Amino acid sequence: MTSWKKAQSRAAPWFLLPALALLAMFVVWPMLRAFGWSFTNADLLAPEQARWSGLDNYSDLLADPRFRRAFGNTALFALLVVPIQTVLAFLLALWVNRPEPAWRWLRAAFFLPVIVSMPVLAVLWTILYQPAHGGETGLVNAALSLVGLPAQAWLRDPHLALPAIAAMSIWQGVGLQMMVFLAGLQGVSRELLDAARIDGATAGQRVRHIVVPALRNTIVFVITVTTILAFRIFVQPYLMTRGGPGNSTLTVVQSIYEITFLSQNLGRACAATLLFLLLVGGLTLLQRRFTREERT
Amino acid sequence: MKARLSNSSPALAWLVSVVVAVAFLAPLLWMVLASFREEGRIFHFTSENWFTTDGWTFANYADAWRRAALGGGLLVSLLQVALVAGIGLVVNAAAAYAFARLEFRGRDLLFAGVVILIILPVEVLAVPMFFTARDLGLTGGFGAALAGLTVPFLAKAFNIYFLRQHFLSLPQELEESAALEGAGAWRQFWSLALPAVRPALATVVLLDLLAHWGDFLWPLMISTREETRTVQLSLANLFTAPPIQWGDILACAVLATLPVIALFRFFQRHIVPSEARAGIK
Repeated sequence: MTSWKKAQSRAAPWFLLPALALLAMFVVWPMLRAFGWSFTNADLLAPEQARWSGLDNYSDLLADPRFRRAFGNTALFALLVVPIQTVLAFLLALWVNRPEPAWRWLRAAFFLPVIVSMPVLAVLWTILYQPAHGGETGLVNAALSLVGLPAQAWLRDPHLALPAIAAMSIWQGVGLQMMVFLAGLQGVSRELLDAARIDGATAGQRVRHIVVPALRNTIVFVITVTTILAFRIFVQPYLMTRGGPGNSTLTVVQSIYEITFLSQNLGRACAATLLFLLLVGGLTLLQRRFTREERT
Repeated sequence: MKARLSNSSPALAWLVSVVVAVAFLAPLLWMVLASFREEGRIFHFTSENWFTTDGWTFANYADAWRRAALGGGLLVSLLQVALVAGIGLVVNAAAAYAFARLEFRGRDLLFAGVVILIILPVEVLAVPMFFTARDLGLTGGFGAALAGLTVPFLAKAFNIYFLRQHFLSLPQELEESAALEGAGAWRQFWSLALPAVRPALATVVLLDLLAHWGDFLWPLMISTREETRTVQLSLANLFTAPPIQWGDILACAVLATLPVIALFRFFQRHIVPSEARAGIK
């Protein structure tokens, strides 16, 4: 180490202190405290009077039909969103990946819902999904009747509410994943594609044998990130359906929120938070492992 | 742009794309149009209702502004985003610089500890963090709630990780020559390294902007009084509190969207296209 470097490195604590102190105070300490509370019967208003209750919170949660329903709904939501959004984003990226400047506008158009905030879009889509009533209806039903399909109750139909929220979420997020794929596409060899075309490979063959293998890393990244984002869903059902009808759109995050502020059962809320962390954290580590292996 | 796949005529491809894009954006286009419609004309999808000069109004905007107290909501949200993105940028960049460029004992272990925190999204942290914020008095009146909306999110593990990557890719020679001229660590960081990673800084600001302008779960816990509501909470309140006026709600949605689009456009200009790749790690 050179002498100037040594002198400069004495400043290191001052560079690190603000960030590390804030992370310790607002991330590490709260998580440690939550871990402790998850083994107690801590109450929202008086957590200091908590008594040890072992693994009761965890076993109660795993047996609780409402929490299990919330978990199932969230998994179903992810199962709907992840494959459809990934495929659509991939196809969109292939389609708009053109050199002419005008295509920038198209890329911007598909990206626009990503910029508009989720609460705004949740409110908007509740209005778009309005069921038909008298001569009035929402835009979605109006579009359906244009092509001769019957109107639906959408968010008020227990079978359609979750798919409707999934469709809206795919629409919102597809532009972001399209941009990630576009970035990946810039690394695909043009020469290889041209050679394949000259040799008579169809567009489908070129995608399957050249683009997909070249984008393997990107595809894994998109799938895992979309899965994590899907499991974090909260705003849409909270604003659009309040978890209904009949708990059909209740999600994990909303049920944690309810356990905290409605049941005021802090201990159980912390246990639920840790179960949720196990899931989301596990997915993140899995993603990092996958992409790192591909790199080496 | 490499890797073009389609052989179809560009004009036809363009035409199809524009039609698809308009259909894709129809919900947002309708949101803007309907926000200028009189109540009672919003849900009637007949050509007589829409292709007419009757029934257009600005009143929804005036009503939404007043009923949702949007002046206050926009102020809280703008302050929140500006403080988190602005102060957070310095806090995270300084830590990232230390991890990338300074040498001290336990650096790699400490950095690994920071990186592991990336697996904690706000939805996981919300409940545990809420109690720390409450214990510290970061909820209640305007100042307290504003602190509660911002201070816990100043330091971000991902931003530190992301900026460190960019500091690492800077050439060392730059700093060596500056050191010969007697520049201290802070001056090297502030006047040399920071300007050199400007696109990365803009990326971090954009991510913070999108995340916090759209914040909902956290403000729901922290902003318990009307005067501390963010713009999203104002909208949610207008959406659920009777009397339900659809025109007002749509106007409020438009007003909640315009600032974030304007800010996004502004910061986006500082990102060069290659920057998009750096996010894939």
